[in-house]
Amino acid sequence: MAAWMLTLTPPLEAENALETSLREAFESEKASLRPPFSLAIPSPDQYTLLNRAILHGVLTEPQFAKTHIKHLHAIVTDGYAAFVTLLLSLVNHLYPKLLASVKTQLLWLTDQIVCVLGVGYDAVLVSLLRQIAGADCGDGNLWLCSKLVTLFLEQWDRLLEDSPHVLSFALYTFLRVLTDHCRGGNVEKLETLKRLEIHLCVKIVREEFHLCLKIGRDFIRLLQDLVHVPEFRAILRDILFNPCVFNVVGFQFKDVSQIYSTRTSSRYSLLRISPDMETQLRFLLTSIKLGHQKRHQVWFAKKFLNEPDKEFVIVDIVRFICCAHHPSNEIIQSDIVPRWALIGWLLTSCRRNHVVANVKLALFYDWLFFDERVDNIMNIEPAVLLMVHSVPKYVDITHALLEFLLHLVDSYDVERKGFVVKGVSSAFQLLVRKGVIRSLDVLISCPALHPGLKERLKSLIACGTVGSS
Amino acid sequence: MVLLKDIMPAAQNNIDTKFILLEKGNTTLEGKNRKCLTLVADETAAVHLQLWGDECDAFDSGDIIHLSKGIFSYQHGNLVLRAGKRGKLEKRGEFTMSYVEIPNMSEIHWIPDPSNSKNYIQDYAISPQSRIFPPIP
Repeated sequence: MAAWMLTLTPPLEAENALETSLREAFESEKASLRPPFSLAIPSPDQYTLLNRAILHGVLTEPQFAKTHIKHLHAIVTDGYAAFVTLLLSLVNHLYPKLLASVKTQLLWLTDQIVCVLGVGYDAVLVSLLRQIAGADCGDGNLWLCSKLVTLFLEQWDRLLEDSPHVLSFALYTFLRVLTDHCRGGNVEKLETLKRLEIHLCVKIVREEFHLCLKIGRDFIRLLQDLVHVPEFRAILRDILFNPCVFNVVGFQFKDVSQIYSTRTSSRYSLLRISPDMETQLRFLLTSIKLGHQKRHQVWFAKKFLNEPDKEFVIVDIVRFICCAHHPSNEIIQSDIVPRWALIGWLLTSCRRNHVVANVKLALFYDWLFFDERVDNIMNIEPAVLLMVHSVPKYVDITHALLEFLLHLVDSYDVERKGFVVKGVSSAFQLLVRKGVIRSLDVLISCPALHPGLKERLKSLIACGTVGSS
Repeated sequence: MVLLKDIMPAAQNNIDTKFILLEKGNTTLEGKNRKCLTLVADETAAVHLQLWGDECDAFDSGDIIHLSKGIFSYQHGNLVLRAGKRGKLEKRGEFTMSYVEIPNMSEIHWIPDPSNSKNYIQDYAISPQSRIFPPIP
């Protein structure tokens, strides 16, 4: 019995419904899973049942995996759509709980499905990328990184032709986890993996630069975290000072501002949030009332931020909240925990100064290049509300945020300061114009804020107005 | 499935309900058996839940738990909900449930219903919320 399990369900815990349905199908179809296979065309119900049974078989009977796959190839009539849907659901809902042997089979199976370009395989790859945890150098997590980076390299030609967008998702993910793996020092177990990840990322950037443009501005944010790695320092230098090396026939890359002005789609921020974490964050932001969120915050932190290094994940969470979780007006006007309050709590959970700085950069990143024609006001709303709502009781937070923002304007990219000034000032102007805040007086006339800071804010707004007129 | 605000003390194993575990007390020994008092709640009320034996290790705060055939009765003078010998507790998820801590059904003074001696009715609240597990400020 134990050999047929996908997960180890603890005592007194209900079995997952998907796991039950796969196991039951496997048990009921067991007789038809060995050759000689029936030549009869299965009915739609039988077809569903067989798909489930074969999936369970591949995952739990490694010794018969090749037989099961042959069987699948023989019965398939829908381009593998039903099978891949099951696979996707399994990864989304059960991956963290799967037994190690089942995970091994799952990755082998994914490779097989990519080989036949089963309908929806790209979603499975994206879902597996989401299962790579941030700031986690545990063996299980490194194993998954290594399996996936190998898969992307081995299936390069196929993916480039059929689903290039998956390669930009892989690039985003591996750039992000490389910052974790480079932080780990020169540990031997990390060295080989790091080389493979760097190789994949450099290959994508150098050979298929258009895939980086697809990511947009967050591509630069991630690259900057890796500036201490020679390969990425060289790439960044080329992007800034020698952009023409990325030209190809029919495409001219003139300046990094081309990337700055592309808003990164929320699909990328989602990549660094596991489905589990996404469920919990969205629940907090749609169902819990402000003032009653303490216990849920404690549970969230216990599950996802339980080790000192886990605070690096807060950068990704803040990006997710700003870019990928946009509440409805109904929720905004209710007493549900607002996004700024959750971000305020996350910010106070960071201990290291450079993590705090990275979290603030994540919070303000869309401000720097804001252009209301392509950008979304919901991406910049949390930062301004956090500053304004902190004035009465936590003015030091307002001060620190505003100071950081003004510092970014001066130093983020001195060569393109005008571009950034325009972005930040138009962000402020739109927030006032759309009524997110009534006016900037709450900051400019705030007695508790340093006069020098208020002057700098005033001149920034004036600058932007002159620049845009 | 009954809401916690609607449970009343009875000598019967007939409560089917669902709640989220908010806080666990210390596990203590009673004879050979371990027991652990906890605070659980749903969207309508909170109550003290008594865990027995292996149940003490199986559940943690934040867990969403289904109780079938549970009993709500006095144990050594304390009003607690528990699975008892005939009932069953089962984890069905975590985190995604909202809750209130007021009223707490274990902190209510109940009196026999004058019109039906088998039932209890609420007399008054001894405390609006749990005196054992106060809310987090």
